[in-house]
Amino acid sequence: MKLAIRQLSLRLQQFTLGVDVDLQHARTAIFGPSGAGKTSLLETIAGLRRPDTAKISFNDQLFDDSGQNYSLPVRLRRLGYVPQYDSLFPHLSVERNLLFGSNGKPKDHTLEFHHIVDFLDIGHLLDRHVRSLSRGENQRVVIARALLSAPQLLLLDEPLTSLDAKLKNAILQQLQTLHREFGVPMLFVTHDPMEATAICEEVILLQEGRIIGRGDPAKLLG
Amino acid sequence: MRISVLILTAMLAVCNVNGAEINVYAAASLTDVMKEIGSAYEKESGDKILFNFGASSLLARQIIERAPADIFISADEAKMDELAKAGLIATETRRDLLSNLLVIVVPSDSKLVIASPEDLVTKSQKIAVADARAVPAGIYTKEYLTRLGLWQKLEPKIVPTENVRAALAAVESGNVDAGFVYKTDANISSKVRVAFTVAVQEGPPIRYPVALMKEAKDNSAAAKFLTYLQSANARKTFERGGFIVKF
Amino acid sequence: MPPLEWQIVRFTLAVCAFSTLLILPVGLATAWLLDRYHWPGKLLVETVVTLPLVLPPVATGLVLLKMFGRRGPIGHFLSQHFDIDVVFTWRAVVLAAAVMSFPLLVRSARVGFQGVDQRLEQIARTLGARDMRVFFTITLPLASRGIVAGIVLAFARAVGEFGATILVAGNIPGRTTTLSLEIFSAVQLGHDATAYRLLVVCVVIAFSAVWLSELLMKKRSME
Repeated sequence: MKLAIRQLSLRLQQFTLGVDVDLQHARTAIFGPSGAGKTSLLETIAGLRRPDTAKISFNDQLFDDSGQNYSLPVRLRRLGYVPQYDSLFPHLSVERNLLFGSNGKPKDHTLEFHHIVDFLDIGHLLDRHVRSLSRGENQRVVIARALLSAPQLLLLDEPLTSLDAKLKNAILQQLQTLHREFGVPMLFVTHDPMEATAICEEVILLQEGRIIGRGDPAKLLG
Repeated sequence: MRISVLILTAMLAVCNVNGAEINVYAAASLTDVMKEIGSAYEKESGDKILFNFGASSLLARQIIERAPADIFISADEAKMDELAKAGLIATETRRDLLSNLLVIVVPSDSKLVIASPEDLVTKSQKIAVADARAVPAGIYTKEYLTRLGLWQKLEPKIVPTENVRAALAAVESGNVDAGFVYKTDANISSKVRVAFTVAVQEGPPIRYPVALMKEAKDNSAAAKFLTYLQSANARKTFERGGFIVKF
Repeated sequence: MPPLEWQIVRFTLAVCAFSTLLILPVGLATAWLLDRYHWPGKLLVETVVTLPLVLPPVATGLVLLKMFGRRGPIGHFLSQHFDIDVVFTWRAVVLAAAVMSFPLLVRSARVGFQGVDQRLEQIARTLGARDMRVFFTITLPLASRGIVAGIVLAFARAVGEFGATILVAGNIPGRTTTLSLEIFSAVQLGHDATAYRLLVVCVVIAFSAVWLSELLMKKRSME
């Protein structure tokens, strides 16, 4: 995978997010304290936020070019987005939520419905109402829903926060093997060094909107 | 001293201490002619005339519900009979005051040629008529058209209105093709023209009875006005308006 | 109840259902635009939309009469080019009902749209949905509380419409006489029995409308 971010600049409340980086690893962590600008960075890549300036391309497909006033619409970026807030559609069942992303999309053979459902162990939840899910079940359904839309990149914003240790471990394992199983690269935002080390090959350190380091998670976050 | 004179004059002007107030309930078609007669009388007598114009059916209902009328002029006998039956009028004061003619009017810029009621069947789509269930002008029209055998054919085209002046207004606006009103109504409007006049012998007898109400506030003042309504001056005004005088 | 009165009830229900259906797409679009966008002159649009709610109904009726009468700008056009009359026909009844109930639909639907979490719409887009699909599968269902309330209010308002209707449609038995107009006539003519019968019908309609909307709302919250 190749995510090229050039001269991204986005004025935030306390500081300006300024990023210029190339990401090539299949599993990359974006690590930093709260308020460092991690979510804003993710939202910008997803197209949910317009940067002041930026030139972003993914696998040679142009996402944003502020110089030419160009921004690829969100729905065409084919990115799976797992946000921090509760994002399941409350008026649809679990099954309907899952199928939302694959409506009318060409079926990708490596991303079959049952494969994903079994992998994330949510088969028993299909008929349930969204409101009745526990936080852990909720997260797994959101990840599955994102996967089912056949994304070319997964963006996860602190998916394991507010989960108890046992659940964290379970989903952690699934996230570890996700890329091997489905071939989808991911950007994983977290402020937990243990998660970053367990799941990702490379970590980007973000502080006050600036990248202050990158490299092997075990070495940097030790 | 001067201030109290001012206040007293103001009070007098407002209260009209010298003159009486006479409530006259009259059919809608009498609006213009009665206002003229009323203001002439006010100058002469110092009394104040308060008018309530409307469909005779509506006025009769109001009087039955004890509205404060002193004099009632109806556009047909039936409404006066209703009040007589309810014991509300001073029957010895009842007179036939006026008569009128029924006409078909069209908007003054209309291209329709209506030479007779029969023409309405083929040439018109909407005809304004005061509500024939209760309003005298409508009842007269229905009687007339029924006699000609045209009511069934024309009923689907009829737009019922609140009173005869509303029918006139409908024709003036051009939203209907024609309307049945009194000749006297057509006279006061420049926005309509008379296409056909129902001859006296063809149409139903039109009578405007007048009477004093038994519970008139100021009997003598009301009676005086009633007399004035049958005076030579009043006659002139009525005839100028196009009414047929019956006294 | 005599057949004539049943005809009036059927006519009223049909006209009001039709007028409510008519204002639905425009009303929802207006509510959505007012909620989501800002533009110079937006306040003017909001004011015009609210006018029929605040003006005396007969005043609105007068405006409609002047605009849709045979000599009015719109009425003349329709009469000349399509041979269609509006004033004193059933079309005027629909027109009066639609205009008077429109603000109620818009206000309620707007509140409905306001309550929709726009982040969910964003998520739907990340899942590949086009704007139309987002609107119909996410926005509309999540706004349904306000929208259904708006529809019920609009329908009820249409059934109760009198002032504008009597001016612009007249009270023509069998053709433009609605429930409200007939009650008025019945009282005017002293037909008290008719008036009371129709009053009962009005209560039944109002009751059913509110009951239905409550039922629909319960169903939605169970999904």
